[in-house]
Amino acid sequence: MGRHNISRRGFLKLAGASSVAITAGITGLPSPLKASAAQEATRGARFLKYDRGVKTHNFCEMCFWNCGVDTYTRNGVIHKLEGNKLNPNNRGHLCAKGNAGIQSTYDADRIQSPLIRTGKRGEGKFKKVSWEEAYKYVYEKLNPLVDEFGPETLATFMHGTGEPYPHMLTMAIGSPNITIPAYSQCMGSREMAWALTFGTGVSGHETFDMANSKHMILFGRNMAGAVQVREAEDFAEGLARGARLTYVDPRQSESAVRATDWLQINPGTDMALALGFIHVIIRDNLANMDFVRKYCYGYNELTKHIKQYSPKWASKKCGIDAKTIEKIAWEFAKDAPNVVAIPPRRMTRYGNDTQTVRAIAILNALMGNWGVPGGIFVRNKVPLDFPKEDMPDAPDARRADGVGEGEKYPLAPTTLGRTNGIYEATLTKKPYPIKAWLLYGTNPLSHSSIGVNNLYKAIDNLELLIAIDTQFSDTVMYADVIFPESTYLERYDAPYIQKDKTPFIALRKPAIKPLYDTKGCFEICKGIAKEFELDDWFEKSPKEMQEELSQVLNKEQMETLEKDGVLLFEDVDPYPNASGAALNFSTSTSKVQLYVKDLEDMQKKHGDEFSPLPIYKDPAMPKAGEFRTLFGRTPHHSHARSQNNWVLLELQDDTPVWMNPEDAKKMGFKDGDMVSLVNAKTGHKSDHSERLKVTKRIKSGSIFIHHGFGHTTKAWTRGYEKGTKENWFISDGVDPLSGAAAFHNGFVKVVKA
Amino acid sequence: MSLIQNNIKKEKNLAMVIVGDRCIGCDACYVSCKTDWDVPAMKEAFRTKVFEVEGEDVNGNPTIGFLPTLCNHCDNAPCVDVCPTGASFKRDEDGIVLVEPDMCIGCKACMVACPYDARYYNEEEQTVDKCTFCLPRISNGLDPACVSTCVGESRNFGDLNDKESNVSKMLKDATSVFKLKEDEGTSPNVYYVTLNY
Repeated sequence: MGRHNISRRGFLKLAGASSVAITAGITGLPSPLKASAAQEATRGARFLKYDRGVKTHNFCEMCFWNCGVDTYTRNGVIHKLEGNKLNPNNRGHLCAKGNAGIQSTYDADRIQSPLIRTGKRGEGKFKKVSWEEAYKYVYEKLNPLVDEFGPETLATFMHGTGEPYPHMLTMAIGSPNITIPAYSQCMGSREMAWALTFGTGVSGHETFDMANSKHMILFGRNMAGAVQVREAEDFAEGLARGARLTYVDPRQSESAVRATDWLQINPGTDMALALGFIHVIIRDNLANMDFVRKYCYGYNELTKHIKQYSPKWASKKCGIDAKTIEKIAWEFAKDAPNVVAIPPRRMTRYGNDTQTVRAIAILNALMGNWGVPGGIFVRNKVPLDFPKEDMPDAPDARRADGVGEGEKYPLAPTTLGRTNGIYEATLTKKPYPIKAWLLYGTNPLSHSSIGVNNLYKAIDNLELLIAIDTQFSDTVMYADVIFPESTYLERYDAPYIQKDKTPFIALRKPAIKPLYDTKGCFEICKGIAKEFELDDWFEKSPKEMQEELSQVLNKEQMETLEKDGVLLFEDVDPYPNASGAALNFSTSTSKVQLYVKDLEDMQKKHGDEFSPLPIYKDPAMPKAGEFRTLFGRTPHHSHARSQNNWVLLELQDDTPVWMNPEDAKKMGFKDGDMVSLVNAKTGHKSDHSERLKVTKRIKSGSIFIHHGFGHTTKAWTRGYEKGTKENWFISDGVDPLSGAAAFHNGFVKVVKA
Repeated sequence: MSLIQNNIKKEKNLAMVIVGDRCIGCDACYVSCKTDWDVPAMKEAFRTKVFEVEGEDVNGNPTIGFLPTLCNHCDNAPCVDVCPTGASFKRDEDGIVLVEPDMCIGCKACMVACPYDARYYNEEEQTVDKCTFCLPRISNGLDPACVSTCVGESRNFGDLNDKESNVSKMLKDATSVFKLKEDEGTSPNVYYVTLNY
């Protein structure tokens, strides 16, 4: 079921029909069962007691947002998680996922000891081994591969707070192929566009000041559905204070609930709409020219370029009428600079994503909203000098994912890499063979980007698949050796230091001892490193790193941090522009780059996708009878990690296929019909059928399903095969500028099951 | 007309005031509540939940809204009236409606009588169970579990007899107030408001 739609009354009819009959007989009559006076005197007394238990400070790991968490333990058992009121990431609140952290820890389906594969890959047969055996296994399998193919044959994928340790291990072994899927599978194109324009990325903790905004334009950014607590709070707060909300999305998501205008745009045409807005703003002299003159580069080039993109033109492309485009542009400019245009977070969509976000960035720049309340706030660093950690020298080898100077994706950051590029290299063995993967908290089969079939083939090319995880994801089931990580409620981690509007440090301390034979990621990576005699790199444990904070914090600060679990540095200014301070932008011109001069040569070399100003191109379109697969997050689950959590499964355990009534009529479908999806390119048909949800909330020509379901891992006794894995039905495209994936050009046929 | 109906003399008149358009439908309340009160692991067992309401506006455009629901702690509580043992009762001091597990015989009459579908039968404990306005928490200086975690700060809790309480002020400032199924004569104590701050 998706949203709550089971009637408990319906359930009651099934479960308690006989008691209903009894009730009818006794209602309203004096009853011989009535309580005695003594009973009445004590009734309800039990409800006055509440043992809160022992509090331990932590931060959440149910998603990447890392909200502050207070853990409450009674007799060594965690009974409740509460948001830490002082942590700026969540101000005392937790979302459904955060509240469900306990259920993930007390889950017998977790990985309970180190394991080595005994059956065929993916068969799910493992034997329990000692930690020493598992470490040795890695050495004995990996070392010959390193000898034969070079250390770069190891590729590492990381997602989670323990990232520094697989990173260190991979560097020490000598491979440059470290990737963080958050770039190429998620935010890469957005970050690239922001960096080209403003000299800095949006960052994982986004800098949109929604609580103070007078008008937010959300380009497919589902603030209320893809819940990150502070953002959802700020979104609700801004709306409650009367902000206008323009919500742009072919699907009416949770965030459209209070939209002043919901623009049900043609998929893949957001750039046309943004260019239309810019055209109106420049044509009607609505730009914040003080800001533009002072801080922007390339206004004249932009003015010439934008002439071709009139509202009438934009309307033809994006399907929003020209008058509405004009109206919203005027309203937006009227409330400037306390306005903000927000790009998607997972901007891996149509392959033109970097340039689309460039247009959105320009729209912001013209409002002069940088460093202004209600616009884009400026992040500040924790103002302390932390001692520099020693790191191994950067490996000499060329990366396998096309990232780096002189490579196909010269702009993509080597610090994050292209996960999709590593998949590709593993599949094609080019530029060289990748023979070993180390997965830390990542599950490539649920964010495949080269097609799930190809990903299975890539896994076949591996001689060694190492997994560090808390649970048996689809991909962990294919591992040769598995290291069970303790959950965030059972382990220490290094101090959490966040650059932000109000920067802060937070601590994670274990609330309980590990329930099973598990370790923290630090200990695991150090154990592997020891086999390679590289464990000198793993000098300080996370606990020692927490203790060492006393070298940079004074006594009072240390006490506050221990007492509150979080230490804020509030003497900073997130609104320097509003305060009249001079702004600095780390671009090559030291200005906000409306026109990106750096791209001129690349445009000549590689074409218009690299244009210094965004040039519109139509998205790929489905053939007649096919639908575009759109997908997105649900508020009830974290990526593909939480679909075995019983309480979250109660909130959502399926992925109905959304289809527009016009399309359903053409196809002869009704709401509630069971349907299957067939990938128009690969012919893959979904393993099981889904309920059709016929709704105007999805634009005609597209279908929508939620992300993160359809797990093949039989180790998940509750989440196995619930819903459809959208990865089978999405595209394998690449944005040429950022090198990040493009998922929304996947087309399907919908057939009756 | 007073928005606050007060049929029973209570020292406190505890109420929840839900700012409807601040609810983003995240269901944090559902999980926080189930966890704190060990509500059994089944979909039919819950003390609070949020409905997604899909509709259409006058132009035929789709609309959505969210409706958080829980026990209304009614002043005229049908569940209390039908309880044959007195297990379901309303506290004089603050108006909270409770089920005393030791006295509940599991006849489920209250479940049928409740117009809000606010009760479930707990097979493990052999008792009907429901929202207590988090009496154990509020007796110990805490907010109810759903209120303390509410991401949109949609849920608010307090004493309507205290004119200075946040809930009293909200009802005073509200541009619209409604309660669920008032025509049933239940005098519920959960208010849904629109504010214009």
